[in-house]
Amino acid sequence: MQLADLPSRRTEAWKWSDLRAAMASQEATLIGTGPIGGDGPIAAFAELMGDAYAPATRVIAAPGETYETRMTEGDTGQYGSVVVKAGATAVLIERIAVSGSALRPILPSFSRIDVEPGATLHRVVVQQNDVADGLADAAIVLNEAVVKLGAGATFRQFVLGEGARLARIEVTVEAGEGAVVDLDGVYLASARRHVDLTSRVAHQAAGIHTQQLVRGVARKGGRGVFQGKFFVARAGQKADASMRHNALLLEEGAEIFAKPELEIYADDVACAHGNTAGQIDEDAIFYLRQRGIPDVDARAMITRAFLIEAVPEWMGDKLRGEIEARIDLWLGTGP
Amino acid sequence: MLELTNLHARVVPEDGPAREIIKGLSLAVPAGEVHAVMGPNGAGKSTLSYVLTGKNGYEVTSGAATLDGENLLAMAPEARAAKGLFLSFQYPTEIAGVPVMTFVRAAMNAQRKTRGEPEVSAPEFLKLSKVAAAKLRIDPDMLKRPLNVGFSGGEKKRLEIYQMLMLEPRFMILDETDSGLDIDALKVVAEGVNALRGPGRGMLVITHYQRLLDYIKPDRVHILSAGRIVKSGGPELALALEKSGYDQFMKAS
Repeated sequence: MQLADLPSRRTEAWKWSDLRAAMASQEATLIGTGPIGGDGPIAAFAELMGDAYAPATRVIAAPGETYETRMTEGDTGQYGSVVVKAGATAVLIERIAVSGSALRPILPSFSRIDVEPGATLHRVVVQQNDVADGLADAAIVLNEAVVKLGAGATFRQFVLGEGARLARIEVTVEAGEGAVVDLDGVYLASARRHVDLTSRVAHQAAGIHTQQLVRGVARKGGRGVFQGKFFVARAGQKADASMRHNALLLEEGAEIFAKPELEIYADDVACAHGNTAGQIDEDAIFYLRQRGIPDVDARAMITRAFLIEAVPEWMGDKLRGEIEARIDLWLGTGP
Repeated sequence: MLELTNLHARVVPEDGPAREIIKGLSLAVPAGEVHAVMGPNGAGKSTLSYVLTGKNGYEVTSGAATLDGENLLAMAPEARAAKGLFLSFQYPTEIAGVPVMTFVRAAMNAQRKTRGEPEVSAPEFLKLSKVAAAKLRIDPDMLKRPLNVGFSGGEKKRLEIYQMLMLEPRFMILDETDSGLDIDALKVVAEGVNALRGPGRGMLVITHYQRLLDYIKPDRVHILSAGRIVKSGGPELALALEKSGYDQFMKAS
C-alpha cells in the first residue's frame, strides 16, 4: 500500500476528507504490498497495522453481553469480527481516545459484524479528543464497521465524534427482511479538527425500518462532514426510512459539509431526508438573556439541547451521562 | 423608577437600511405605578420593549433610559434582567430541548449569582413553582416539557407570567400580553400580574386594545404614535380611545 493508492479529494466518497493529504504529512511508514482490497482503505490500514481481536472472531451468544474495545495512541489498530448469535442481545462499545501523547499517530479499526436473525446489537463508538487547546492535533482516526443484519435483526448505533487532524467514522449496513436500524450521532468540530461521519444503509429486503439522526457543531477552523446514503433495492418494498442531519455553525469560519443521498429502486417505500446547517437562533439567545442567563451560557444551553436530542434513550443512563459530560466539556460548561 | 428622556432609537436590520422608530420619547413610571402604553400598529410599541431590554439590532441614537437612576442602556440584556427588568414577550420564543423548570431555575440562579445572592435550593424552587403554577392554573406536566415548544398562544402567555411570578422582577414590561388569550385566560393572567403589583414595583403595559386594562387597571395611560408619546392621561383616556379610535391623536401629533 502506497500513498498514491489512498483516496484523496478526487475520490467521491472521500472528497471532503482527503486521507492522502493527511497521510502525506505523517511520518509513519506505509508498509506492505499490493492494492487496497475490496473493503476499502480503512480495512486495509486496520489489517496491516492492527492486532486481530483475540479471538479474532468474537461470538456473542449469551443475552445481554457487553464487549468493549479501547484504543489510544501507541496502539497500532484493531481488526476483527463480531457475530451476535440468533436471538442474543449484545452491546459493543468502541472507545478511541486521542490525547496528544504520541506524535502523528494513526489509529485504524475495522470490524465485520454479523447480527443473526432476531438478534440485537447496540453499538456505541466514542471517539474522544483530549488534546489541549493550541497543541498540534496530529492523529488520524479511522473507524469502520460493515454490519450484516439477518431477518428481523435490530442494530442500533450511536457515534460521538470529536475529531482529530482527520477522523472518519464509517458504517455500512446491509439489512435483511424486517430489520430495524437506528443510526444516531453527534459530532463536535473545534479548531483544527476534522470529523467525518459517513454511513450507508442498504435495504436489500422488504419491511426494513431505518431511522437516522445526526447533530453536529463546528467552531472556527473546525470541519464537520456528514455523508449518509440510503439505498433501497427493488426487493426493499415497504422500507420506512428517515434520515436527518442538522448542524450548527457556531462561529464564522466553521465548516460543515453534508451529503444526504437516497437511491431508491422499489416503488412502495416511505423515505425522507432532512438536512440543515445554520446558526443559532438569535431570538432564542435574546430570550434567555432577557431572563438573566449570560450570553455565553445561553449559547451553551441552546447548543447542548440541540445536540442531546441525538443521544438516544436506548443507551441507558450511564452511557448517556458519559456522552452528555463530553458535550458539556466541549461546550466549556463541564466540571 | 423607570425614566425615559427624549429617547431616539432605530432598528438596524441585518440586510437593509436602519429606520428610526422611536423619535424623542419621554416617559416616567414612578415606583408602585402601572402605566399603559397604547398605540396603533407601527407606532413603535414593540420596538420600545426591545430597546429597553437591549435586543441586538435595536440601537439607541440619543436620549436616556434609567431604572432607579442607573443607566439601562450601558448594560447587557442579562445585566438588565438581574437588575429586575422583565419583558413578557409578545411572541415568546420556542426553546427546543430545554424543559421549562430547568430553564427557569437556571435563569433564577443566574440572576441571583449576578446579584451576589445564594442559589435557590431544589425544594425551595419546587415550592415556589407549585404556588405559581396553581395561581395561573398551569398543568404541572407542562413545566416538564421543552419551553414553549408546541404550546398554544395562550399557554405561552401563561408561561410568561409564570416566569414573572418566579423571577419576581422589579420592573415589568408586558408586550401585548392579551393577544392570543380568550377571556377566561385573560382573567387568570391578569390576576397573576396584579399579584405582583406593589409599592416597590413598576409596570409598563403595552397594548393595542383597552380590554386588558379592564383587568390590569393602570394609573396612567400614554398614547404612542410615530415614536413619541402624544398624549397622557388617567384610565379614562383608554376608554376614550376605545370609543373614538387613534385617529384623533395621530392628527394631533
